[in-house]
Amino acid sequence: MGKVAIENIETGMVLASDVHDRSGRMLLGAGAELTQKHLVIFRTWGVLEADIEGQGSADSADQIPPDVDPLELAAAEQELAPLFKHTNRSHPAIIELMRIAALRKVQHGHV
Amino acid sequence: MAMSDYPPATIERLVEETSTVYSLPLFYERLNETINHPRSSIDDISKIITEDQGLTARLLRLANSPMFGCYAKVESIAKAVTIIGTQQLRDLALAASVMGVFKGIPEDLLNMTSFWRHCIACGIIARSLAVYRRESNVERLFVAGMLHDVGQVVLATARPEVSRELLEAQRDTGMLYLHLERERLGFDHAELGGALLKKWKIPASIGEPVACHHNPGSAEQFRLETALIHLADIICQSMELGHGAEAGVPPLDEPAWDRLGMSPQMLGTVLKQSESQINETFSILSGGADG
Repeated sequence: MGKVAIENIETGMVLASDVHDRSGRMLLGAGAELTQKHLVIFRTWGVLEADIEGQGSADSADQIPPDVDPLELAAAEQELAPLFKHTNRSHPAIIELMRIAALRKVQHGHV
Repeated sequence: MAMSDYPPATIERLVEETSTVYSLPLFYERLNETINHPRSSIDDISKIITEDQGLTARLLRLANSPMFGCYAKVESIAKAVTIIGTQQLRDLALAASVMGVFKGIPEDLLNMTSFWRHCIACGIIARSLAVYRRESNVERLFVAGMLHDVGQVVLATARPEVSRELLEAQRDTGMLYLHLERERLGFDHAELGGALLKKWKIPASIGEPVACHHNPGSAEQFRLETALIHLADIICQSMELGHGAEAGVPPLDEPAWDRLGMSPQMLGTVLKQSESQINETFSILSGGADG
């Protein structure tokens, strides 16, 4: 299981743990299969992510949007290496930032 | 190194020189006094703001921007004060007026457009991170982000030669600007900026995060705010949203990251939310009076 951001959640996914709103009120219990209505309610109450069954937590880092060429992405990562050479590149947050930066470079032609 | 033509650059000296030449508009002090005075009304506050037409226009545009998500149109400052709150409006007024203070910096030292873009992006992202963490009074984070690199401007105005040498050294050695500052000056732009804000009597909730944003462990009072600015700065550097003097992504302080209790996956969401706001706020704040 792993946290999935709201925009990547699809109907039919199954919750691995309870979902709470911003003030801690429970909205939906673990094990529920998500419907479109649930997603609307999550958004209404400001839920930004949910724990989804069967999603490895590293999963989102491996996801590449279909319109992105993996080779181009690798090239973009290569290009960004000097920018990141002074920071702690093994930290999960920095890994994520590098991933986003490389994706942006490929998709928009700039970072 | 060859920095001896100038009197030694210490934080105290630089702040002293800068604060005699550049001062926050007198109006900020008056606004602050009025807001802190227990018997002043919203009318008193809006009267002071409306004396400055450029600022009034910018504040109104800010109040109407999606940042505040207000459905009804905000057409008077009095209404803006009611919606945004006096403390927050003061913070915004500070942000809007500080941009006009520093002028005449040679383009090859700091491109001010790009510099302010970096600062505004940092402010907006820090604000979004704070919203995500359900903090209250998020405007102070916007302002702290806006001002986080003000030390770079101080150095560039007070000691352009030193600033230029640091930039050249950065190009030649590939080291971080931040580390070069520490190595050659004995302090960095964060500490310098923090000292100036203190001199300007800006509250510590804004001053400390600025002073400690490259060394979050040294913050004593406002650790969370400092961690937010630290992270927001790193995000901006990673995405190259505008440019200050720094060319690389500075190291992430792990205790600061842990303090925020965020999952790395959220960074993309926060960034996506912030991006349109950055463009909008940038055009609001840079359009009009100065630029």
